[in-house]
Amino acid sequence: MKRYAMVIDLLRCVGCNACTLACKQENHTPPGVSYNVVIPQEEGQYPNIKRLTIPRPCMQCDQPPCVKVCPVRATWKRDDGVVVIDYEKCIGCRYCMAACPYGARYFDFGENYTERGNEFERAPSPEYGQNRVREKGKSPIGNVRKCHFCLHRIVKGEEPACVQTCMSRARHFGDLGDPESNVSRLVKDRRAFRLRQELGTEPSVYYLK
Amino acid sequence: MQDKGLYYAYWVALLTVTLVGMGAILVRFTEGLAVTNLSNFVPWGLWVAFYIYFIGLSAGSFLLSTLIYVFGVKRFEAVGRLAVFTALISLVAGLAFVWVDIGHMERFYTVFYNINATSVLEWEIFLYNFYVVILLAELWLLLRRDFIRAGEGEGLAAQICRLLALGSNDVSPDSVKRDMGLVRILGAVGIPVAIGVHGGTGAIFAVVAARPYWHSGLFPIVFLVSALASGGALLAFLAAFFTKEGRRDRALVPTLGKLVGGLLALDLLLLASEFLVGLYGNIPEDMAAYNAITQGPYWWVFWAVQLGLGAALPLLIIFNGRTNVSPTWVGSACLLVVAGVLGVRWNIVNPGFSGQQIEGLGSAVLPTPRAFPITRLPSQLPEPTQWFFILGTLVFIGAVSVIFFHLLRQLREQRAGVLARSGAALGLLALILGSLWFIANNIPMSTAAAIGPSLTAILPIPKEYAATRFSSAYTPSLIEWLASAGIIGLAVTLFTLGIRLLPMEGEPVKEGAWHVRP
Ligand code: SF4
Ligand code: SF4
Repeated sequence: MKRYAMVIDLLRCVGCNACTLACKQENHTPPGVSYNVVIPQEEGQYPNIKRLTIPRPCMQCDQPPCVKVCPVRATWKRDDGVVVIDYEKCIGCRYCMAACPYGARYFDFGENYTERGNEFERAPSPEYGQNRVREKGKSPIGNVRKCHFCLHRIVKGEEPACVQTCMSRARHFGDLGDPESNVSRLVKDRRAFRLRQELGTEPSVYYLK
Repeated sequence: MQDKGLYYAYWVALLTVTLVGMGAILVRFTEGLAVTNLSNFVPWGLWVAFYIYFIGLSAGSFLLSTLIYVFGVKRFEAVGRLAVFTALISLVAGLAFVWVDIGHMERFYTVFYNINATSVLEWEIFLYNFYVVILLAELWLLLRRDFIRAGEGEGLAAQICRLLALGSNDVSPDSVKRDMGLVRILGAVGIPVAIGVHGGTGAIFAVVAARPYWHSGLFPIVFLVSALASGGALLAFLAAFFTKEGRRDRALVPTLGKLVGGLLALDLLLLASEFLVGLYGNIPEDMAAYNAITQGPYWWVFWAVQLGLGAALPLLIIFNGRTNVSPTWVGSACLLVVAGVLGVRWNIVNPGFSGQQIEGLGSAVLPTPRAFPITRLPSQLPEPTQWFFILGTLVFIGAVSVIFFHLLRQLREQRAGVLARSGAALGLLALILGSLWFIANNIPMSTAAAIGPSLTAILPIPKEYAATRFSSAYTPSLIEWLASAGIIGLAVTLFTLGIRLLPMEGEPVKEGAWHVRP
């Protein structure tokens, strides 16, 4: 059985935000919704300072607190490890946003970058293979949205857009169910860690530091 | 409200607020949540605070009513029906707030069949419904005999009562005895339900492990205690100013007041415990919340509203031997408690979002303006809405002025001091000028956030206390305020209709008529 996972090498990440933009392009996300962000962190005090950039997609937690709290089962964890949202079921209560320890969930308030929404913004988003066009009053406006590892791409055997675009090859995507896969080997690395592990969320996104 | 003018003014003020508020809800309905100032950092705001506030009022007043109907504390009998009725109206208001808050209002009913057993919110929704049924049944049983009695008369009220009696016409002592027996059972069932309703509402927050400020076992208990305090306070206030019994039995309100005082003190104790343990723990995300509460942009909600007006002042009045014998004093103190708990609720929801889940997250997200045009009023509203809004404001001012003048005249009759009169006149003037300024200047709707800095300017407070460095990044938008006013206006309208048309005080029950021994 497949268990998708991502490994992000922080020593390779240069913080260029290409992944953030590739994701926006791929999923046609509106202002304020950014499935992937690159978090700048500083360590130490001047002059001994180190800057770290941490790309943060949804962690696709194995014990996802967001799934547990949803009152209408609109969000769940698939067998392949991806946590998805059914836009037709979601009532937009935003409880899952409060519960996610990684700030990985975003509410679609219905805004556009341009006043009416330009051609790109009005183009359908391939998310979940549903090709939805964002229209006032219709899902996904009024729903919570999040990274889904580009499910529509991985079912076609492609990599998520952020992985494909990363110029320094900091991102690796693969199947943890296969002991020979790239990610299976990488997560055994001594440098591997996961964010906020202490909360017991068991993220599927690993980092190398 | 014997005075015709006062009566009309009251209705006009209430109805304008309600209508303007309904307009705002309509805007929210068509434009979606973009009309709020919520964001992806602060996904829950004013409406959620009001939601837990009203659920708390409801659970609090219901639990107090069980003192009478389950435990037989006859002292408070005069406010028993009022308590159950208040519980019902507050619950409806609370649910209305959740409803306007969800992103897809049209899908609300799906919660009944898309069931997720691990979601506290889902459990709560079912509990709320069970609770509504209990409240309705109990209220009907309490009012049944008076419905029948009142239904014999003429006029609108009698007609309504006839309808509400649902065809029942048995007023024999036996039937009353049976009613009260059932009420007792319903009340007893209702106790755990009401505890579940509000303790569970606390649990909605407490189970969120990702936010250490909420994640504490004390949280649901804090909810319950403050609910009892606010519910009791609301009843005491209503009893003092809106019931005949409260005026006749001069010990009733002070006794209720003492109960409220005790609960309030317990609430403060719990608050202190939360704070001390949290501060000692020194977890960055937790600290962010405490910093936001005590010295963030809403410091005044904590210090002035929650602790000062909502706790210290009422406690002084309630436990001061000279003031605590007067229903008017105690009733007013209780009104302060009711208002102060709103601060408590705000400080439950909002600070939970002040920490960053991952250090630096706030500076990562691409800067996106989440300022929707409708957050400014009125010039940026569509034309007709603008006029509607301005008209509403003017009518409201007019009606409030009438109420003021009537109160002033009453004061004169009672030879109250010049001070009170001029104070009231000044307040009215401030209201009129403020509203005119508001209309003329299209002030951006950060009024809530603007209170902090202006208070700091007037008061001798160190500048740091209003620092925005612990900014919570959220201030309710105008539509959020107006929609809230609309829901509250509607609740007050229903409430007023209820106490005017329904036999809320009823005939005093004869001794022994409903004392069913277990
Ligand atoms: S990172 Fe957040 S949204 Fe993603 S699965 Fe985990 S809890 Fe859910
Ligand atoms: S916002 Fe949608 S997905 Fe999130 S908890 Fe509410 S209904 Fe579920």
